[in-house]
Amino acid sequence: MEYTNFYEEFGSPLNPRKRKKLEEFLAKQDLRYDEQIEETVNLVDGDGNIAATCSLHANVLKCIAVSENYQGYGLSPRVVTLMINRANEKGIKHLFLFTKPKNYQMFTDMGFYPITQTEDILLMENDRGGIDRYIDSLPKGNSSENIGAIVMNCNPFTNGHRYLVETAAAQCDTLHLFVLSEDKSEFPAAVRYELVKKGVADIPNVIVHQTSDYLISSAVFPTYFIKDISKAEDANCILDLKIFCEHFAKKMNITKRFVGTEPTCQVTNAYNQQMKTVLSSYGIEVIEIQRKEWDGRAISASVVRDYLHKCDIEATKNLVPPTTYEYLEKEGYRYKK
Amino acid sequence: MKIVKNAVAGTLESSDAYVQVEPNEAGIEIVLESVVLTQFGDDIKASVMEVLAENEVTNAKVSVNDRGAIDCTIRARVETALKRAQGDL
Repeated sequence: MEYTNFYEEFGSPLNPRKRKKLEEFLAKQDLRYDEQIEETVNLVDGDGNIAATCSLHANVLKCIAVSENYQGYGLSPRVVTLMINRANEKGIKHLFLFTKPKNYQMFTDMGFYPITQTEDILLMENDRGGIDRYIDSLPKGNSSENIGAIVMNCNPFTNGHRYLVETAAAQCDTLHLFVLSEDKSEFPAAVRYELVKKGVADIPNVIVHQTSDYLISSAVFPTYFIKDISKAEDANCILDLKIFCEHFAKKMNITKRFVGTEPTCQVTNAYNQQMKTVLSSYGIEVIEIQRKEWDGRAISASVVRDYLHKCDIEATKNLVPPTTYEYLEKEGYRYKK
Repeated sequence: MKIVKNAVAGTLESSDAYVQVEPNEAGIEIVLESVVLTQFGDDIKASVMEVLAENEVTNAKVSVNDRGAIDCTIRARVETALKRAQGDL
Protein backbone atom coordinates (compact mmCIF):
# COMPACT_ATOMS: atom_id res chain seq x y z
CA MET A 1 0.00 0.00 0.00
CA GLU A 2 1.42 3.28 -1.15
CA TYR A 3 1.67 5.78 1.71
CA THR A 4 -0.20 8.53 -0.09
CA ASN A 5 -3.12 6.39 -1.29
CA PHE A 6 -5.55 7.56 1.35
CA TYR A 7 -8.57 9.73 0.91
CA GLU A 8 -9.26 12.35 3.58
CA GLU A 9 -12.86 12.34 4.71
CA PHE A 10 -14.09 15.24 6.83
CA GLY A 11 -17.33 15.63 8.74
CA SER A 12 -18.66 18.22 11.19
CA PRO A 13 -19.83 15.74 12.38
CA LEU A 14 -20.07 12.83 9.91
CA ASN A 15 -23.40 12.05 8.26
CA PRO A 16 -25.32 9.07 9.71
CA ARG A 17 -24.12 6.56 7.10
CA LYS A 18 -20.43 7.42 7.54
CA ARG A 19 -20.88 7.67 11.27
CA LYS A 20 -22.22 4.12 11.39
CA LYS A 21 -19.13 2.93 9.53
CA LEU A 22 -16.92 4.80 12.00
CA GLU A 23 -18.78 3.33 14.97
CA GLU A 24 -18.15 -0.18 13.63
CA PHE A 25 -14.49 0.65 13.09
CA LEU A 26 -14.11 2.02 16.61
CA ALA A 27 -15.90 -0.97 18.12
CA LYS A 28 -13.20 -3.23 16.67
CA GLN A 29 -10.66 -1.21 18.65
CA ASP A 30 -12.69 -1.43 21.86
CA LEU A 31 -13.74 2.21 21.59
CA ARG A 32 -17.17 3.81 21.58
CA TYR A 33 -18.17 6.76 19.42
CA ASP A 34 -18.42 9.87 21.63
CA GLU A 35 -21.79 11.57 21.13
CA GLN A 36 -20.32 15.04 21.71
CA ILE A 37 -17.95 14.95 18.74
CA GLU A 38 -18.08 18.08 16.61
CA GLU A 39 -15.50 17.29 13.93
CA THR A 40 -14.15 14.06 12.50
CA VAL A 41 -11.46 13.26 9.97
CA ASN A 42 -10.90 9.78 8.54
CA LEU A 43 -8.16 8.47 6.31
CA VAL A 44 -9.87 6.01 3.98
CA ASP A 45 -8.03 3.44 1.86
CA GLY A 46 -8.66 2.52 -1.81
CA ASP A 47 -11.28 -0.07 -0.84
CA GLY A 48 -13.30 2.42 1.16
CA ASN A 49 -12.21 1.08 4.56
CA ILE A 50 -11.25 3.43 7.36
CA ALA A 51 -7.51 3.30 7.99
CA ALA A 52 -7.25 5.96 10.68
CA THR A 53 -9.53 8.40 12.46
CA CYS A 54 -9.43 11.38 14.82
CA SER A 55 -12.21 13.59 16.20
CA LEU A 56 -12.58 16.85 18.06
CA HIS A 57 -14.98 18.07 20.75
CA ALA A 58 -14.34 21.66 21.90
CA ASN A 59 -10.60 21.64 22.65
CA VAL A 60 -10.28 17.89 23.23
CA LEU A 61 -9.07 15.35 20.67
CA LYS A 62 -11.13 12.19 20.90
CA CYS A 63 -11.57 8.74 19.38
CA ILE A 64 -8.12 8.46 17.80
CA ALA A 65 -7.55 5.06 16.22
CA VAL A 66 -5.58 3.36 13.45
CA SER A 67 -6.71 0.14 11.74
CA GLU A 68 -4.65 -2.89 12.68
CA ASN A 69 -3.94 -3.40 8.96
CA TYR A 70 -2.09 -0.09 8.85
CA GLN A 71 -0.12 -0.09 12.07
CA GLY A 72 3.43 1.14 11.54
CA TYR A 73 2.62 3.33 8.51
CA GLY A 74 2.80 6.52 10.57
CA LEU A 75 -0.88 7.24 10.06
CA SER A 76 -1.61 8.49 13.56
CA PRO A 77 0.57 11.63 13.33
CA ARG A 78 -0.94 12.23 9.92
CA VAL A 79 -4.53 12.04 11.03
CA VAL A 80 -3.81 14.04 14.21
CA THR A 81 -2.12 16.75 12.12
CA LEU A 82 -5.23 17.02 9.95
CA MET A 83 -7.38 17.50 13.04
CA ILE A 84 -5.00 20.05 14.58
CA ASN A 85 -5.15 22.00 11.32
CA ARG A 86 -8.94 21.93 11.54
CA ALA A 87 -8.81 23.11 15.17
CA ASN A 88 -6.47 25.92 14.13
CA GLU A 89 -8.94 27.05 11.49
CA LYS A 90 -11.54 27.25 14.25
CA GLY A 91 -9.10 29.32 16.32
CA ILE A 92 -8.40 26.59 18.89
CA LYS A 93 -4.68 26.32 19.62
CA HIS A 94 -4.52 24.76 23.04
CA LEU A 95 -5.56 21.12 22.73
CA PHE A 96 -6.02 18.31 25.21
CA LEU A 97 -6.37 14.58 24.86
CA PHE A 98 -7.30 11.73 27.15
CA THR A 99 -5.81 8.36 26.39
CA LYS A 100 -4.70 5.07 27.87
CA PRO A 101 -1.37 5.35 29.71
CA LYS A 102 0.21 2.84 27.30
CA ASN A 103 -0.09 5.41 24.48
CA TYR A 104 2.23 7.83 26.28
CA GLN A 105 5.15 7.44 23.86
CA MET A 106 3.01 7.74 20.75
CA PHE A 107 1.56 11.10 21.74
CA THR A 108 4.80 12.41 23.17
CA ASP A 109 6.23 11.90 19.69
CA MET A 110 3.51 14.17 18.33
CA GLY A 111 4.31 17.02 20.69
CA PHE A 112 1.88 16.31 23.52
CA TYR A 113 2.96 16.60 27.14
CA PRO A 114 1.52 14.78 30.14
CA ILE A 115 -0.46 16.68 32.77
CA THR A 116 -1.49 13.85 35.07
CA GLN A 117 -2.07 10.16 34.86
CA THR A 118 -4.00 7.59 36.80
CA GLU A 119 -4.11 3.83 36.39
CA ASP A 120 -6.64 4.09 33.57
CA ILE A 121 -6.23 7.52 32.05
CA LEU A 122 -3.51 9.80 30.83
CA LEU A 123 -4.30 13.47 30.24
CA MET A 124 -2.04 15.41 27.86
CA GLU A 125 -1.83 18.91 26.37
CA ASN A 126 0.05 20.26 23.36
CA ASP A 127 1.79 23.01 25.30
CA ARG A 128 4.86 22.03 27.33
CA GLY A 129 4.44 23.19 30.92
CA GLY A 130 1.12 24.85 30.04
CA ILE A 131 -0.50 24.00 33.35
CA ASP A 132 2.46 25.25 35.40
CA ARG A 133 2.52 28.55 33.51
CA TYR A 134 -1.22 28.87 34.04
CA ILE A 135 -0.92 28.34 37.79
CA ASP A 136 2.05 30.70 37.98
CA SER A 137 -0.11 33.38 36.39
CA LEU A 138 -2.79 33.14 39.10
CA PRO A 139 -2.78 35.75 41.88
CA LYS A 140 -1.50 34.08 45.06
CA GLY A 141 -2.24 36.44 47.93
CA ASN A 142 0.23 37.37 50.66
CA SER A 143 0.21 34.44 53.03
CA SER A 144 2.58 31.53 52.66
CA GLU A 145 0.81 29.10 54.95
CA ASN A 146 -2.65 28.11 56.11
CA ILE A 147 -3.98 28.32 52.56
CA GLY A 148 -7.30 26.75 51.68
CA ALA A 149 -9.30 26.12 48.53
CA ILE A 150 -12.86 25.52 47.40
CA VAL A 151 -13.81 24.26 43.97
CA MET A 152 -17.40 24.89 43.06
CA ASN A 153 -19.85 25.33 40.26
CA CYS A 154 -22.20 27.96 41.74
CA ASN A 155 -25.08 27.54 39.34
CA PRO A 156 -25.99 30.20 40.54
CA PHE A 157 -24.27 31.60 43.67
CA THR A 158 -26.59 31.08 46.70
CA ASN A 159 -26.55 31.83 50.42
CA GLY A 160 -25.40 28.23 50.85
CA HIS A 161 -22.23 28.96 48.86
CA ARG A 162 -21.82 32.24 50.66
CA TYR A 163 -21.99 30.47 54.02
CA LEU A 164 -19.45 27.85 52.92
CA VAL A 165 -17.04 30.57 51.76
CA GLU A 166 -17.49 32.65 54.93
CA THR A 167 -16.91 29.68 57.22
CA ALA A 168 -13.90 28.47 55.25
CA ALA A 169 -12.36 31.95 54.97
CA ALA A 170 -12.49 32.28 58.75
CA GLN A 171 -10.34 29.15 59.03
CA CYS A 172 -7.48 30.16 56.71
CA ASP A 173 -5.22 33.09 55.90
CA THR A 174 -5.92 32.91 52.18
CA LEU A 175 -8.81 31.12 50.51
CA HIS A 176 -8.68 30.32 46.79
CA LEU A 177 -12.04 29.95 45.14
CA PHE A 178 -12.15 28.11 41.81
CA VAL A 179 -15.34 28.41 39.81
CA LEU A 180 -15.77 25.47 37.44
CA SER A 181 -16.33 25.98 33.76
CA GLU A 182 -19.10 23.66 32.76
CA ASP A 183 -20.70 24.37 29.41
CA LYS A 184 -23.77 22.44 30.40
CA SER A 185 -24.67 24.59 33.40
CA GLU A 186 -27.75 26.71 32.95
CA PHE A 187 -25.89 29.83 34.01
CA PRO A 188 -23.04 30.64 31.62
CA ALA A 189 -19.53 30.48 33.10
CA ALA A 190 -19.00 34.25 32.81
CA VAL A 191 -22.21 35.01 34.72
CA ARG A 192 -21.45 32.49 37.45
CA TYR A 193 -17.95 33.94 37.89
CA GLU A 194 -19.27 37.49 38.12
CA LEU A 195 -21.93 36.55 40.69
CA VAL A 196 -19.37 34.75 42.85
CA LYS A 197 -16.98 37.67 42.62
CA LYS A 198 -19.63 40.20 43.62
CA GLY A 199 -21.03 37.87 46.28
CA VAL A 200 -17.72 37.52 48.17
CA ALA A 201 -16.24 40.96 47.43
CA ASP A 202 -16.55 41.95 51.11
CA ILE A 203 -14.47 39.02 52.41
CA PRO A 204 -10.87 40.27 52.20
CA ASN A 205 -8.88 37.00 52.21
CA VAL A 206 -10.76 35.32 49.35
CA ILE A 207 -9.30 35.19 45.84
CA VAL A 208 -11.75 34.16 43.10
CA HIS A 209 -10.20 32.52 40.05
CA GLN A 210 -11.53 32.58 36.55
CA THR A 211 -12.50 29.22 35.19
CA SER A 212 -9.80 27.34 33.36
CA ASP A 213 -9.25 24.46 30.99
CA TYR A 214 -7.52 22.51 33.72
CA LEU A 215 -10.36 22.11 36.15
CA ILE A 216 -12.04 19.57 33.99
CA SER A 217 -15.75 19.56 33.74
CA SER A 218 -17.42 16.19 33.55
CA ALA A 219 -19.09 17.38 30.37
CA VAL A 220 -15.80 17.21 28.46
CA PHE A 221 -14.47 14.11 30.13
CA PRO A 222 -14.57 11.23 27.68
CA THR A 223 -15.54 7.71 28.63
CA TYR A 224 -15.33 6.11 25.20
CA PHE A 225 -12.13 4.18 25.89
CA ILE A 226 -13.05 2.86 29.32
CA LYS A 227 -14.53 -0.60 28.89
CA ASP A 228 -16.62 -0.67 32.01
CA ILE A 229 -18.77 2.44 31.79
CA SER A 230 -19.74 2.25 35.47
CA LYS A 231 -16.06 2.73 36.34
CA ALA A 232 -15.79 5.82 34.17
CA GLU A 233 -17.27 8.20 36.73
CA ASP A 234 -14.76 7.02 39.34
CA ALA A 235 -11.83 7.32 36.96
CA ASN A 236 -12.91 10.85 36.06
CA CYS A 237 -13.05 11.95 39.65
CA ILE A 238 -9.67 10.46 40.58
CA LEU A 239 -8.03 12.22 37.62
CA ASP A 240 -9.67 15.50 38.57
CA LEU A 241 -8.49 15.20 42.18
CA LYS A 242 -4.95 14.28 41.12
CA ILE A 243 -4.71 17.39 38.94
CA PHE A 244 -5.80 19.44 41.91
CA CYS A 245 -3.21 17.84 44.22
CA GLU A 246 -0.23 17.53 41.89
CA HIS A 247 -0.49 20.96 40.29
CA PHE A 248 -2.80 23.42 42.03
CA ALA A 249 -2.21 22.39 45.65
CA LYS A 250 1.51 21.82 45.18
CA LYS A 251 2.23 25.14 43.48
CA MET A 252 -0.12 27.23 45.59
CA ASN A 253 0.73 25.61 48.94
CA ILE A 254 -2.86 24.62 49.50
CA THR A 255 -3.21 22.44 52.59
CA LYS A 256 -6.97 22.48 53.15
CA ARG A 257 -9.90 21.89 50.88
CA PHE A 258 -13.41 22.74 51.98
CA VAL A 259 -16.60 21.05 50.83
CA GLY A 260 -20.23 21.29 51.81
CA THR A 261 -21.81 18.19 53.35
CA GLU A 262 -24.08 16.30 51.04
CA PRO A 263 -27.20 15.04 52.77
CA THR A 264 -29.22 14.03 49.74
CA CYS A 265 -27.14 13.33 46.63
CA GLN A 266 -25.44 9.91 46.67
CA VAL A 267 -23.11 10.73 43.78
CA THR A 268 -21.71 13.87 45.37
CA ASN A 269 -21.42 12.06 48.65
CA ALA A 270 -19.33 9.33 47.00
CA TYR A 271 -17.19 12.03 45.39
CA ASN A 272 -16.55 13.65 48.77
CA GLN A 273 -15.50 10.29 50.22
CA GLN A 274 -13.11 9.72 47.31
CA MET A 275 -11.75 13.22 47.80
CA LYS A 276 -10.81 12.44 51.38
CA THR A 277 -8.89 9.33 50.34
CA VAL A 278 -6.99 10.93 47.46
CA LEU A 279 -6.24 14.28 49.10
CA SER A 280 -5.07 12.81 52.37
CA SER A 281 -2.42 10.82 50.47
CA TYR A 282 -1.01 14.20 49.38
CA GLY A 283 -1.23 15.60 52.90
CA ILE A 284 -4.20 17.84 52.17
CA GLU A 285 -6.94 18.04 54.73
CA VAL A 286 -10.57 17.82 53.60
CA ILE A 287 -12.92 19.82 55.81
CA GLU A 288 -16.65 19.23 55.48
CA ILE A 289 -18.88 22.13 56.41
CA GLN A 290 -22.50 21.58 57.37
CA ARG A 291 -24.89 22.94 54.76
CA LYS A 292 -26.77 26.10 55.58
CA GLU A 293 -30.53 25.69 55.82
CA TRP A 294 -33.47 27.95 55.17
CA ASP A 295 -36.94 27.05 56.34
CA GLY A 296 -35.80 23.57 57.35
CA ARG A 297 -34.29 22.70 53.97
CA ALA A 298 -30.64 22.75 52.89
CA ILE A 299 -30.10 25.63 50.46
CA SER A 300 -29.09 24.35 47.07
CA ALA A 301 -28.66 25.89 43.67
CA SER A 302 -30.99 23.31 42.15
CA VAL A 303 -33.87 24.56 44.34
CA VAL A 304 -33.16 28.09 43.11
CA ARG A 305 -33.19 26.87 39.52
CA ASP A 306 -36.52 25.09 40.09
CA TYR A 307 -38.08 28.39 41.16
CA LEU A 308 -36.60 30.12 38.12
CA HIS A 309 -38.01 27.43 35.82
CA LYS A 310 -41.42 28.36 37.18
CA CYS A 311 -40.50 32.03 36.83
CA ASP A 312 -41.04 32.53 40.58
CA ILE A 313 -38.17 34.96 41.09
CA GLU A 314 -39.56 36.33 44.38
CA ALA A 315 -39.22 32.91 46.00
CA THR A 316 -35.43 32.95 45.54
CA LYS A 317 -35.01 36.13 47.56
CA ASN A 318 -34.26 34.35 50.83
CA LEU A 319 -31.99 31.78 49.21
CA VAL A 320 -29.48 33.99 47.39
CA PRO A 321 -27.34 36.98 48.43
CA PRO A 322 -28.54 40.46 47.36
CA THR A 323 -25.87 40.54 44.64
CA THR A 324 -27.28 37.40 42.98
CA TYR A 325 -30.89 38.53 43.51
CA GLU A 326 -30.17 41.81 41.76
CA TYR A 327 -29.09 39.82 38.69
CA LEU A 328 -32.05 37.44 38.90
CA GLU A 329 -34.53 40.32 39.10
CA LYS A 330 -33.20 41.59 35.80
CA GLU A 331 -32.30 38.40 33.96
CA GLY A 332 -34.11 35.63 35.86
CA TYR A 333 -36.83 35.35 33.21
CA ARG A 334 -34.24 33.87 30.83
CA TYR A 335 -34.16 30.68 32.83
CA LYS A 336 -37.86 29.94 32.57
CA LYS A 337 -38.67 26.50 31.23
CA MET B 1 5.77 40.97 4.87
CA LYS B 2 2.95 41.60 7.32
CA ILE B 3 1.42 38.73 9.30
CA VAL B 4 -2.32 39.31 9.45
CA LYS B 5 -3.79 35.92 10.38
CA ASN B 6 -3.00 32.56 11.90
CA ALA B 7 -1.56 29.97 9.56
CA VAL B 8 0.05 26.56 9.77
CA ALA B 9 2.36 24.45 7.62
CA GLY B 10 3.89 21.00 7.88
CA THR B 11 2.88 17.91 9.81
CA LEU B 12 3.66 16.15 13.05
CA GLU B 13 5.11 13.18 11.21
CA SER B 14 8.62 12.01 11.92
CA SER B 15 11.33 14.03 10.08
CA ASP B 16 8.94 16.91 9.52
CA ALA B 17 8.05 20.03 11.48
CA TYR B 18 4.70 21.62 12.32
CA VAL B 19 4.86 25.40 12.13
CA GLN B 20 2.21 27.82 13.40
CA VAL B 21 2.39 31.55 12.70
CA GLU B 22 0.30 34.20 14.44
CA PRO B 23 0.20 37.99 14.32
CA ASN B 24 2.13 39.65 17.13
CA GLU B 25 1.85 43.21 18.46
CA ALA B 26 5.52 43.98 18.66
CA GLY B 27 8.55 41.94 17.73
CA ILE B 28 9.33 38.32 17.03
CA GLU B 29 8.46 35.57 19.42
CA ILE B 30 9.66 32.04 18.74
CA VAL B 31 8.45 28.99 20.64
CA LEU B 32 10.44 25.91 19.75
CA GLU B 33 9.73 22.30 20.61
CA SER B 34 12.04 19.67 19.25
CA VAL B 35 13.06 16.09 19.81
CA VAL B 36 16.64 17.33 19.41
CA LEU B 37 16.20 20.55 21.36
CA THR B 38 19.36 20.18 23.42
CA GLN B 39 21.54 19.32 20.42
CA PHE B 40 20.16 21.66 17.74
CA GLY B 41 17.76 24.06 19.45
CA ASP B 42 19.91 27.13 18.84
CA ASP B 43 20.60 26.20 15.21
CA ILE B 44 16.90 25.71 14.50
CA LYS B 45 16.06 29.08 16.09
CA ALA B 46 18.79 30.76 14.01
CA SER B 47 17.32 29.21 10.84
CA VAL B 48 13.83 30.42 11.73
CA MET B 49 15.16 33.93 12.41
CA GLU B 50 16.94 33.91 9.03
CA VAL B 51 13.76 32.98 7.16
CA LEU B 52 11.88 35.72 9.03
CA ALA B 53 14.59 38.25 8.10
CA GLU B 54 14.63 37.16 4.44
CA ASN B 55 10.89 37.78 4.28
CA GLU B 56 11.15 41.05 6.20
CA VAL B 57 8.83 39.90 8.95
CA THR B 58 9.21 42.04 12.05
CA ASN B 59 6.11 41.19 14.08
CA ALA B 60 5.06 37.56 14.45
CA LYS B 61 4.66 34.74 16.87
CA VAL B 62 6.10 31.55 15.42
CA SER B 63 5.79 28.17 17.09
CA VAL B 64 7.80 25.32 15.64
CA ASN B 65 7.12 21.75 16.69
CA ASP B 66 10.07 19.93 15.19
CA ARG B 67 9.97 16.18 14.82
CA GLY B 68 13.58 15.81 13.68
CA ALA B 69 13.38 17.67 10.37
CA ILE B 70 16.51 18.64 8.45
CA ASP B 71 17.35 22.33 8.08
CA CYS B 72 15.87 22.86 4.61
CA THR B 73 12.58 21.27 5.69
CA ILE B 74 12.28 23.60 8.65
CA ARG B 75 13.05 26.63 6.47
CA ALA B 76 10.50 25.55 3.87
CA ARG B 77 7.79 24.94 6.47
CA VAL B 78 8.37 28.34 8.11
CA GLU B 79 8.34 30.13 4.76
CA THR B 80 5.10 28.43 3.71
CA ALA B 81 3.40 29.27 7.00
CA LEU B 82 4.51 32.91 6.68
CA LYS B 83 3.15 33.17 3.14
CA ARG B 84 -0.15 31.64 4.22
CA ALA B 85 -0.34 34.11 7.11
CA GLN B 86 -0.13 37.14 4.82
CA GLY B 87 -3.83 37.00 4.22
CA ASP B 88 -4.23 37.15 0.46
CA LEU B 89 -3.18 33.58 -0.33
